[in-house]
Amino acid sequence: MRQTAEGVPGRPPSLAPTQVPFSAGEFLMDKDSTGILYLESRRLVKRWSGPWPALVNTLVMAVFFYITWWIFQDPRGVFRLYTPYVGYMVCRWMLILFIWLAYIFDFWPFKRSWLERTHPVVKGTVLTLVSVAAMFVLIKGFFIELLGNYGIAYFNPSRLEEMGITEFYALEYATEAIMMFAAIASWLSPSWVVACEGAPWNKLKQPAKGLTIMVVTFFLSMVVYFVTMHSHMAILFYPWQQYTAITPPYWETFANTVSGNFHIAWIMCCTVVVWQFETIWERYPFNLIKTDWLRRTASFFGIILIALALCFFLYYAQDLVWGETVRGTRRLAAPDWRWLHVGEMAIFWLVPTLFLNFYCGNWPNNFSRPVRVCIRTFLTAALAVLVYVVYYKTSHLFLGTQKGFSHPQQFPMIPMIWLINIFLINVWFMDGWPGWKAVPRTAEELQEVEDEKVASDVRWSPALAKGLAVGIACGVGLYAVVVGVLPWIGQTVQIIK
Amino acid sequence: MKENNMSRRDFVKGVATGVCAGAFASMGLYSYTGAAYDRLPKSERKFHDFGAVRSVKVVNISETSWFSNADLIGDIHAAGGLLVNQYTLNWAPFANGKGTAKGSYDSGLASIKDLIPHDLEKAWDIQRKLALHPENPGGFSCLLEVEALDGTKHNYLLDSGWSYEWMDKSFKREGIDKMLEARQIEGLFISHEHWDHFWGLPVTMKYDNRIPLYIHDGFYKEGLQYIKDSGYKGTPFIQKEPLHQVMPGMAVVKFDVPIINRVFGETSLAFNVKDKGLVLISGCCHQGILQMADFAYTDLKYDNDKFYGIYGGLHISPFEDWDPKYDDLVISLGKWNFDRIGCNHCTGHLTARKFIERGYPVVRGSARFRSSSPDYLGNGDTITF
Repeated sequence: MRQTAEGVPGRPPSLAPTQVPFSAGEFLMDKDSTGILYLESRRLVKRWSGPWPALVNTLVMAVFFYITWWIFQDPRGVFRLYTPYVGYMVCRWMLILFIWLAYIFDFWPFKRSWLERTHPVVKGTVLTLVSVAAMFVLIKGFFIELLGNYGIAYFNPSRLEEMGITEFYALEYATEAIMMFAAIASWLSPSWVVACEGAPWNKLKQPAKGLTIMVVTFFLSMVVYFVTMHSHMAILFYPWQQYTAITPPYWETFANTVSGNFHIAWIMCCTVVVWQFETIWERYPFNLIKTDWLRRTASFFGIILIALALCFFLYYAQDLVWGETVRGTRRLAAPDWRWLHVGEMAIFWLVPTLFLNFYCGNWPNNFSRPVRVCIRTFLTAALAVLVYVVYYKTSHLFLGTQKGFSHPQQFPMIPMIWLINIFLINVWFMDGWPGWKAVPRTAEELQEVEDEKVASDVRWSPALAKGLAVGIACGVGLYAVVVGVLPWIGQTVQIIK
Repeated sequence: MKENNMSRRDFVKGVATGVCAGAFASMGLYSYTGAAYDRLPKSERKFHDFGAVRSVKVVNISETSWFSNADLIGDIHAAGGLLVNQYTLNWAPFANGKGTAKGSYDSGLASIKDLIPHDLEKAWDIQRKLALHPENPGGFSCLLEVEALDGTKHNYLLDSGWSYEWMDKSFKREGIDKMLEARQIEGLFISHEHWDHFWGLPVTMKYDNRIPLYIHDGFYKEGLQYIKDSGYKGTPFIQKEPLHQVMPGMAVVKFDVPIINRVFGETSLAFNVKDKGLVLISGCCHQGILQMADFAYTDLKYDNDKFYGIYGGLHISPFEDWDPKYDDLVISLGKWNFDRIGCNHCTGHLTARKFIERGYPVVRGSARFRSSSPDYLGNGDTITF
């Protein structure tokens, strides 16, 4: 990833074709059809030198986060969506709509010229409202009315209520199912763009390209939903819906629970790893593969394998700290909660990852790619631990959440994703305002971005091989040290008093 | 020189890549394997000897904490969900007439402060006009008759319910009022701060305001104030340690768990019944019945090393809601081999039905005094361990 002296918050996605058909400031009307994404066509420049842009944006977002949290989510606020599943569904689907609008539809149907000329605040407001409206249509129109009335009853809270389920739980069950769909889509949609580079439809024009990728990833999400979450929903009801779903679920023995939280765990890790791969890892190491199909396939499945590794480790880490699970127990010792907490811990890693990329110029940048990727990985992991500790120590004091790790209504994913949504509104829709402003990239800069798709700065050599062997040994050793230290941490550190 | 430089740079690139690859590979290949779990230290059983009792009889004074799930959950939902502070819900006896989620401890109790505990009828009448769904409250409370090894009988109350009107009536039905007046009850254990276990405290105070009172140290300031405002003249025992022995064979076990509507922590009771085994009795068991059983297994010594019985609200599907994790409990409970399961209250009818379908030894009830199902022990039913 190339950084400029001014600092570039956010790496634009690499979807552009190899030819760059225009130079900066030209072809305003034709840009919509060039195939170069808006996010890729701009360069974000700091308005002030030093750390001020990051500090000002952080302050503005913190205030915006708290105000919007209070209005929409906080159990003491206005709309009180944090029930928790209603609020959870809303923030997950907002995330998806932002990804679709910016990454997949490249802001279609908005004109490129409008994006370039409109004040960031107006642009941010309009694009956010459009996303929210689309989200409402999708949730209400597609899931509740269409699927809920003509396909699967549990998507429609009114139907559940008619069958005798309390209004509150009818809404919670339906929104849980709709939310689960979003959780899967928030992994697959960006993964198709980031890992698969939008292939094989990357040369289509909008809206054909956006629609195609959306439909394909939506279809894949549906398949994944049915093989991961449908059984979970089916055993919510008495008796188990054995004629319409696999009951007990096939993962029971492996995961030591019948709960679908097992799938939430690895899917959330996939979501996080996709963005790490795109931002702080600069798509390394899979971008070393020159063959397009191989690179894309390796990236897509590589993300899954890394996510599974992360998932299993985070589960094991909890067992090391809190002791082994007892199936059937509640809260901290329950395997279903531990799997859910895997996803929660992963989300804690995503927040510093995006912050580092968006507001700290993806620091550091003055080393070779592998070194800076390595530094960023461990730096963001350390920051994630810090965010985790601060969250559990303080969130109940100002977010209206419940004190404790494992309360059924304690969902750190909601405030974390709410915050991430605000990051995305700020960087994608508002060009980093007020700390940054967008300027068009030059043709040379666009070419450099395109060239980055396949990295050429790491080549095989005997020295590299030796380093790799030494590094792997160090990595294994580091893992052993962490595994050795975690039980001690469990016995000596008390985060919540 | 240039070549050396290049080699060094390549080596560093390799190390940086390898560290990440090695760490992630280890995470993936080792973390969730049998080998990884074999190295975990096995928990050592402490076998804490807390004595034994001859028998424990439970008289169910009231298990019907509320009478309409829809009203209860509807009120909570309207107020903003399960995280909302219980004292703001505008339920009696903390209602101020301002509507959903606009209540507070001070403004609610102000209307009846001078009436409790001596004129509970009038106090409840006032609150009936101010509260949301004033006919919904009931309450949870049970009497424990413990026979020591020397044959002496000791009576204790677990929880004091919710509605002043309902609890007073229930106390009179089971003769609790007379026992309290005669100081025949040696202690009141409040399992946790929730409305249906704790807010009926003035009813006990009406008959005995010096009864030894045991509470969890997670009580909020409103709860502590309510103990004083209820007319309690003693000093409550605030339990800080995980285990407190009340008498030989009887102990209070403390669990630090966050609970809905801003409540923290629950205490339950453990008994070692001679020649039979361990009996666990809970108010709501928010910590989870198996969590409690696991604690007992690890920490306590009991006869025959056997889980003999459980009684109380097991807090599985209190609102007849469900979640697959509850099935984990239903499936797993059989492995603990309880001889007698006396459940009710927040256990949920659906859970009781699933227990029965699996062949567990659930003691049935008589469905009297507004208890709605014979699937479990209802109001006025008894069970002896």
